[in-house]
Amino acid sequence: MLDFKPNEKEIEKIGKFSIEEKNFRIENLKNFNSVGFPNKLVEDWKFSDLRHIVSKNFAKLDLKLKPSKEENFDFIKDFEHNYIVLVNGRLTSNSFQHEDNSQIVINPYLNKDFSNKKEKNPLINLNYALSIEGFNLEVKDNYKFNKVLVIYNLFTKDLNENILNSQNRIKIGKNSELHVFDYVINKSEKNFFNNVYEDLYLAESSVFKNISIQKNRSNGFFHKFSKNILSSKSNYSSFIFPLGLKFDKLDLEFNLEGENIECNLQAASFLNKGDHQEIKTRVNHLAPNCKSYQKVKNVIDLDSKGVYQGKIFVKNIAQKTDAYQLSKAILLDESSEFDSKPELEIYADDVKCSHGSTSGSVEKDSIYYLMTRGLSKNESVKLLINGFLSEIIVSIKSKTMKNFIEQKLLSQIYEH
Amino acid sequence: MLEIKNLKASINNKEILKGVDISIQPGELHAIMGPNGSGKSTLANVLSGKDGYEVSGELKYQGKDLINIPIDERAQKGIFLAFQYPTEIPGVNTNNFLKTSLNKIKKARGEKEMDTLSFIKMIKEKSNELGMNENMLSRQLNVGFSGGEKKKNEILQMKILNPNLAILDETDSGLDIDALKTVAKGVNSTRDKNKSFLVITHYQRLLNYIKPDFVHVLADGKIIKSGSMELAEQLEKTGYKGIN
Amino acid sequence: MSNQNINKTKEYKYGFSTDIESIKAPKGLSENTIKFISEIKKEPKWMLEWRLKAYKRLKASKEPDWQKPKFPKIDYQNLYYYSAPKSIKDKPKSLDEVDPKLIETYQKLGIPLNEQKKLSGVAVDAVFDSVSVATTYKEELTKKGIIFCPISEAIQKHPELVKKYLGSVIPISDHYFATLNSAVFTDGSFVYIPPNTKCPMELSTYFRINSSETGQFERTLIIADKGSYVSYLEGCTAPMRDENQLHAANVELIALDDAEIKYSTVQNWYPGDENGKGGIYNFVTKRGACRGKNSKISWTQVETGSAITWKYPSCILQGDNSVGEFYSIAITNNHQKADTGTKMIHLGKNTKSKIISKGISAGKADNTYRGLVDIGRKASNSRNYTQCDSLLMGNKCGAHTIPYMKNKNSSSTIEHEATTSKINDEQLFYCNQRGLNQEEAVSLIVNGFCKDVLQQLPMEFAVEAQKLVGISLEGSVG
Repeated sequence: MLDFKPNEKEIEKIGKFSIEEKNFRIENLKNFNSVGFPNKLVEDWKFSDLRHIVSKNFAKLDLKLKPSKEENFDFIKDFEHNYIVLVNGRLTSNSFQHEDNSQIVINPYLNKDFSNKKEKNPLINLNYALSIEGFNLEVKDNYKFNKVLVIYNLFTKDLNENILNSQNRIKIGKNSELHVFDYVINKSEKNFFNNVYEDLYLAESSVFKNISIQKNRSNGFFHKFSKNILSSKSNYSSFIFPLGLKFDKLDLEFNLEGENIECNLQAASFLNKGDHQEIKTRVNHLAPNCKSYQKVKNVIDLDSKGVYQGKIFVKNIAQKTDAYQLSKAILLDESSEFDSKPELEIYADDVKCSHGSTSGSVEKDSIYYLMTRGLSKNESVKLLINGFLSEIIVSIKSKTMKNFIEQKLLSQIYEH
Repeated sequence: MLEIKNLKASINNKEILKGVDISIQPGELHAIMGPNGSGKSTLANVLSGKDGYEVSGELKYQGKDLINIPIDERAQKGIFLAFQYPTEIPGVNTNNFLKTSLNKIKKARGEKEMDTLSFIKMIKEKSNELGMNENMLSRQLNVGFSGGEKKKNEILQMKILNPNLAILDETDSGLDIDALKTVAKGVNSTRDKNKSFLVITHYQRLLNYIKPDFVHVLADGKIIKSGSMELAEQLEKTGYKGIN
Repeated sequence: MSNQNINKTKEYKYGFSTDIESIKAPKGLSENTIKFISEIKKEPKWMLEWRLKAYKRLKASKEPDWQKPKFPKIDYQNLYYYSAPKSIKDKPKSLDEVDPKLIETYQKLGIPLNEQKKLSGVAVDAVFDSVSVATTYKEELTKKGIIFCPISEAIQKHPELVKKYLGSVIPISDHYFATLNSAVFTDGSFVYIPPNTKCPMELSTYFRINSSETGQFERTLIIADKGSYVSYLEGCTAPMRDENQLHAANVELIALDDAEIKYSTVQNWYPGDENGKGGIYNFVTKRGACRGKNSKISWTQVETGSAITWKYPSCILQGDNSVGEFYSIAITNNHQKADTGTKMIHLGKNTKSKIISKGISAGKADNTYRGLVDIGRKASNSRNYTQCDSLLMGNKCGAHTIPYMKNKNSSSTIEHEATTSKINDEQLFYCNQRGLNQEEAVSLIVNGFCKDVLQQLPMEFAVEAQKLVGISLEGSVG
């Protein structure tokens, strides 16, 4: 049983901090150590017993102190883009060659908020205590990006039972627009744990679009908490295609603080070979006339488990809220499992809120239909899974992106 | 029966009716025609007492002021509105609804409430007259009804509730010619010297089957012209722009 | 006490209390209290030991705190755990021996117990505070081999059945309130339907809390033997009192091969006044085991009363092809709170479950649906369908839906849908235009919203329940 409780002295090892910052870090470390990795008795971790998962897969967890050398990797050639390179979470290079650089601020991670607000999520505590890597990106008002920004998340070969903590911050100014393509390239062959805290702020009438995907399967154990603050008339849209991680939990919080916001999240994944993946969303409708939409699709194969926990919260003043949530899962194997908890907490009466969740096998009638047209059973199933997941991909507007994602996702299905 | 004088109505500070005058005597059938957005439906809503309107002017029904009377009491006094878009009420059986409604109105009139058996008998008769399948009435109120079925259901309710003043709000819209004839037949069969009708329509078509005594043209919240059936025929030729 | 309350009973017509001399256990929870209960019930030794085992367990366990409605700490030492009308001490052998005051109380509640007036087609067991005062139609049932009696009587007369099944669905170690009930339960109904017997009438228990500072801990055990069928109903009311009163019941159902149990509840405990003062804490554990193949358990509940309702009537679908159903209407108004739903545990093959929940929230109330659907690895070809609809009236109330779904079998399907809506103005306008006033319109629309559940109730109770739905929401639309 791994008992991961970093000593306060570790904080001194990772850097020199002001007293205020040091106390903040110690406080958070204490909070983490008092509970450790959460187990299934913690409501938010009911379906993903992280304590069990960590102790089963790690004999130790070392803090990664020395930066790794940047390794070679292939840049995407399919489309022109700006980029940021993160190596094990550390910002190592960037290029905004397609943009007006005076409208953009990019620098390494810098946390200056040491407020005393007690954070209860132990993974965030851990991140607050130990994080020294990451980036800060600001887009000034009235600037629309010409090309997409690719964030290359590179994980190096030398990772071995390490734990990485990083923090990223993105702020988009009024009337500005940014499209991000999150691309994870994993060279590590050993298990490691990556714990990310992310802040996104959308000012009035700004637009943020995001696509996240992994290049390859890996031995990563990922946790990301993402806090998104959306101002009035802003538009958020995200497509997530998480695949091929040993453990992955995406914990996304959206605070819709102004009116007429649109917030759209879609995810599709194919889980296989013991993958454990959870997507958790919490959408807080705090003002009237906003729309939110989540759609999560999972195909779950061998020894894998998919989890979706989604909560829609509507404050009493948030009248005319239009919130919809759907999760669908196909179970392919006896050893696969899908758990879900779609939750509504509504305090306003003039709203349209609904959710649906289904899980089950591939439609037997559909397989039968395809087989009468000459396909083998295996081919039929693949075709149906493909169609099931493609439904998410087709709603991506950019054609190049759509093709790129399709190739990646399909190769996952067909390699199986 | 109904005296409307300088009737004004606004919603969210926007004036829709800007001074309407109409006088309807017992036994008369008045038609109101007008282009989209002229205030036709607002007039129907205000007459039935729908909330949300700021109303001024004079509105007298059977010699009594109507403006401060709530919707259900107006209905009980014999004002019936056939809705343009009849609302769906899931889970509520159409028959039960009709019976509840009928007995409320009967009670207000000081009449004896109807028992289930005679009610069912009456429903059967009246729905047959309209060529409606009575099974439709055991379905949920307006849920899953086609446009035509909803409109017929409104006319059926009118026949059953036997109002003094029936307001038909674009009952013809969305109906094919056969359904239109059935609806017209339903209306014509209930006309008599004590009952009055206010038929609101966009097209003259309906008036070929329901002959009005008077035709009014409503435009931008005012009656701009009144006349007889010829006015409707003229409208059909020249359109609303030709009227001035 | 009784008279001053009668004035306030306009809204809650069951709010009167009966002035009757009662025998109470010493106040507080202790081994002595438990011994007192066991002794006064003339229980065999094994029963007392069972209770003491539960009590020992209770001392080591804690109240759960995950529920949405929070409540002030209950002082378990300030409660009476047993209260019975003095006249009942020696169980009356026939109705003639029952105190007329009690008969009158039930008469007032609409439950006539006299032979001449008794409800036709419904056998009633009337439970007053901690004891059963009368059971009707006993003889007719006995002829068919059906046992329908107070559980205290069953413990004496049918110990083999009680020993075999009591605690077999809700173990004494289950959770705090279930354990508390196991230690101190006083009375409740016992039903046994022999093999291949269709119970010829509805069986029903009517629960009444009368005494103040008294908790009611009833225990119901229903066993449907192979190929049998029974439909069982319970109704509940209590006087209006300023204090909160605890009702912590345990209900266990066991359906063997090809048997079916239909269990309906119309719960109308005193909900507290419009400011949230007083009312019953209704913390109930209800669980059914579909133990045999092709068995079926169906729960229907109409929850309109109580200050706090906290219960999850559940089904454990052990037998292959077994079926579990849960139909629920929960209405909360003023300051009422409800956290209710179900658990469907699929263990056997080809098991099916269906959940229809309608939550209505008005005033400052809070209404939560919480449910679990768990399809185990071995439960092949199983299915669940869940539909959860919430209706909000005004923006001072809350509606929550918290379903948990676990599917571990790739040949099994879970389908869940939930919606939140309000009564829209167009619907009200339409009804008003047809001559219905606001309250009639609301009652009609809400009854329509609840239709799928109401139609599950036996005829005799459906009409009553419909009225109750209307009454519960009175004054909630301005």
